[in-house]
Amino acid sequence: MNNYAKKYVGVKAQNRPPKSISPFGKSPEKSQNKSGLTPLASPPTISGGTLATPGLSYRIMSKMAFGPNDADLAHIQSLPGATEMDKVLAYIDEQLEPQLIDDSAVDAMLTNGFQTLNKTQQQLFQEHQHIPGGGDIPWETHIQPGRETIYATFIRCLNSKRQLFEMMADFWHNHFNVYMEGDNIQPMFVHYDRDVIRPNVLGNFRDMLYEVTRSNCMLSYLGNGVNEQSAPNENYARELLELHTISAKNYFGHMPWQDVPTDNQGRRTGYVEADVLELARALTGWSYDGASWQDYQYLYDPPVDPNEAPVGLFLFRGDWHDEGVKRVMGVDFTYDSNDPEKDVNDILDMLAEHPATAEFLAYKLCKRFIADEPPTQVVDQVAAVLHQNWQASDQIQQAMEVLLKSSAFLNTWGEKIKRPFERTIAAMRQIEYGFHFNPQNEYSNWHYWGFTDSGQMPFNWTAPNGYPDTKAFWLGASSNMSTWKYIQWTSRFRDPDNGDTPVNNIINITTTGIPVAADRTPNNIVHFWYQKICGYSPTNDVQNKLAEFMSYQDNTNPTPSDPDTAVDLNSNEWPGYHQERLFAVVSTIFLTAEYSYR
Amino acid sequence: MKKLNRRKFLQGTGLVSVAGMGGLQLGFANTLMNRGSGAAGQNLMVYVFLDGGMDGLNMVPPRSGSDYTQYSSVLRPNLHIPSSQSLALNGQSAFGMHPSAPGLAQLFNDDKMAIIHATGLLEANRSHFEATKFMELGTQGVSSLSTGWLTRYFNSSVHTPTDAVMPSIVPSYGNTDAVLGDPTALVMANPQEFSLSDGHWAWTDTMQDILADLHANPETLEQLVAHQTLNASDIIQAIDWENYTPGNGADYPLSFLGDQLRTVAQLFKNDVNLEVAYVPTGGWDTHVGQGTGTTGQFADLTSNLSAGLAALYQDLSATHPGQFTIIVQSEFGRRAYENSDHSTDHGYGNPMFVIGDDVNGGFYGQFPGLSPAQLFEGGDVEATVDYRDVVSEVLIKRQRNRFLGYIFPGYSDYMPLGIVNGANLSPVYETDYDPLFASGFD
Repeated sequence: MNNYAKKYVGVKAQNRPPKSISPFGKSPEKSQNKSGLTPLASPPTISGGTLATPGLSYRIMSKMAFGPNDADLAHIQSLPGATEMDKVLAYIDEQLEPQLIDDSAVDAMLTNGFQTLNKTQQQLFQEHQHIPGGGDIPWETHIQPGRETIYATFIRCLNSKRQLFEMMADFWHNHFNVYMEGDNIQPMFVHYDRDVIRPNVLGNFRDMLYEVTRSNCMLSYLGNGVNEQSAPNENYARELLELHTISAKNYFGHMPWQDVPTDNQGRRTGYVEADVLELARALTGWSYDGASWQDYQYLYDPPVDPNEAPVGLFLFRGDWHDEGVKRVMGVDFTYDSNDPEKDVNDILDMLAEHPATAEFLAYKLCKRFIADEPPTQVVDQVAAVLHQNWQASDQIQQAMEVLLKSSAFLNTWGEKIKRPFERTIAAMRQIEYGFHFNPQNEYSNWHYWGFTDSGQMPFNWTAPNGYPDTKAFWLGASSNMSTWKYIQWTSRFRDPDNGDTPVNNIINITTTGIPVAADRTPNNIVHFWYQKICGYSPTNDVQNKLAEFMSYQDNTNPTPSDPDTAVDLNSNEWPGYHQERLFAVVSTIFLTAEYSYR
Repeated sequence: MKKLNRRKFLQGTGLVSVAGMGGLQLGFANTLMNRGSGAAGQNLMVYVFLDGGMDGLNMVPPRSGSDYTQYSSVLRPNLHIPSSQSLALNGQSAFGMHPSAPGLAQLFNDDKMAIIHATGLLEANRSHFEATKFMELGTQGVSSLSTGWLTRYFNSSVHTPTDAVMPSIVPSYGNTDAVLGDPTALVMANPQEFSLSDGHWAWTDTMQDILADLHANPETLEQLVAHQTLNASDIIQAIDWENYTPGNGADYPLSFLGDQLRTVAQLFKNDVNLEVAYVPTGGWDTHVGQGTGTTGQFADLTSNLSAGLAALYQDLSATHPGQFTIIVQSEFGRRAYENSDHSTDHGYGNPMFVIGDDVNGGFYGQFPGLSPAQLFEGGDVEATVDYRDVVSEVLIKRQRNRFLGYIFPGYSDYMPLGIVNGANLSPVYETDYDPLFASGFD
């Protein structure tokens, strides 16, 4: 349909094109730049070398975990099995049962200065959002639960033995994205992470969908908390269909619902604009106590009774709810006064059961763990498991087993790059970053603020579609540079609370890996770290360049010395700064394109 | 041969800015300066994208007649901008400007801004992510392309010097599909932090040199991006970002958008062949808390946008009059009627702005009306202008690129509205345009 017919009536197309695109009439502008700088407009041609492939354990730890470290690689080696593949499959089995993995070290870290992680949803609301009876809440208190969740996320991704679990938590947080810095969300974010997302990351999608729909975080973020029948707010309804279940791929836009094709079981295969409106009607009244201005009227009714203060919990507002029949994707849903949540629950059932939802979730999971354009075969397999088990309590776990044991997962390499958060955490894991993230500690704040420019602070994507999961988005100079800088900084950060000792474990890792002091030559050190960080040996050219760096004896006059003469790693004196130089060489390897693959 | 140590090199020359540097050690600066301030070079096109769906009905509200009655008493009883509050536009009675946008009203009244009514995609799409993607890729309903519309703009731009130092900038943290597949576009949120300066002082310069060496001959796209990042860092470091006095006393707002626009102006003025700036700015998805008058979310966004665009215009026109064009667009407008929270859901037709010295100020296109029969699907402002007509007129008349069929696949009926001055070159609609051909290899 041409919507512009009115405007274009009687107007003749002007400047019709010639049949051929020549002549151009003008040759390209000639060179105007004689700078010493390399112009961005004419980048070198990619010569298309072969991408080296690391070993199996390294690969899977880069894809189903936040990168390998010595402890987890040693653990895989310790598992039963005749081959590395057997051991890796045993590791996958272990990771699929995270509740059986001891993670007490992380639990202990999460008591270190954290004050909000164990508060109930009501406590979070009444202590960080609205104090009964009124009263000012300092900004630091208001944002405390959100900030603590970010620190907890750094701690878990860096240290947890349940690496797959943390990858899944990251995945579902992005699938059901809530922008933490949106209005009134930071006080409640502990609840969203702890009660809504984490209990279900390997569980059942329908359960998670229900909790999301009732969570005051999502209700605030997408405005459903104030969705009334008088004039429905369709924000959440739209994203529920487009981003959480059926997907934009099956959005038929402005079309009568009767025209949407049906599948062989009579389901409509997609949704139209009218379905968004109908779902918005169904969701009217799904709110929380504290979403409406009316919830605060008690403050203007002296004497003020704090017991009348809103509690922040899910609240079905019957007087806001549209009790009429809703027709969503061709199916009628009726209101039941004995079970007022029934109409929405029936719709959530339909959406969770729908093959389009299973296919969408499978595609996103495969895109996360395998490739930007995952092979359709594995997507179909994962989708089938999700669909067939849509009511099973271990639905997602079953699907992930199929995904992680597929050849596509086990054997592909470099189809993805690490995003800034993954790049950062994976580097920290390799250098066994020992910083104690503690919300009360100023240097934790430094770590927080330092990471903001990366463009991938956890829970900080403003739109409801979550952080992009394609190479193309992250292949920009901005996230490259700021992530590089953060890795530069953390690779050498010294803890002022601990005598300015380095927080990294680079020296120990080196001396353990190369036990004889006389063997700690620039060549050996570089080979050791490159192999560890990138998963394979450096090319001769890369080896020589990095070894030359490692051989410099004087920072003011960087000239090469013998790359086969041992470096004294106990020394960090002017002008050689051996230890700092080693930190710099290690972080340079983290800055290479080779390290960015997963 | 060892490379020159960049940091010390720059420090040693005691440079203030590229444009201000003298001497032979930086021959490129002289060369660039000798080009003059862009007369022989390419015009700058600043494309500001308002992410989230800007509410055009409140940005450029009806002020009189039946549309105003419909708008103020039927569609938006709680949300409309009263005619007593909207800012008057010269010679216009039907529409005004949002009261928080005095800068835009001034530009309009100075004849430097065109407002194009009711623009949009050919087919309405109320999904942010789909509508935005189509606009970024320059397609209608196709999301499978591997290049963005600006990527193809450059591929087909015969006037862009092949050794342009920095032809395009996206002052943002993340990439946009508008430059998908273009390794020459620089995505950079914060120029003052755009150097590898967080290593230990003794080795940080060496690190940058080694890293550049390691990526000198890229074999993969990822290596190429690293290579380009390091090159861009050299260019960025040669500019003094802190000491900058905008022209005409322009005052950029203290906001990320203000910083983004100032970055664009500074780069352009430093003669790095900047030709395109893609400036994304978000927050326009006002489903709740939109606010009325000069308070609330929408008023804050509008005030910031208006101040930012006014500052950019003043700043650039001081030194480069007639050599830049600003286009402002959003993925769609919002629903004509308010929702239960006195805010708005996703809609369709929406105004675009074009700002510059060579713009013929005034209103363009046809406002389709707000009566129930005139609204699209009973709820949205209808779209009556293909947004590509607006962009294409700037491409042809200001940027001298006529390969419209290549830039916007499927587009074949360009009709200039007369928004800007310039030679109206014949459009070329072939979609399989081969950039090599234009580069003189035929």
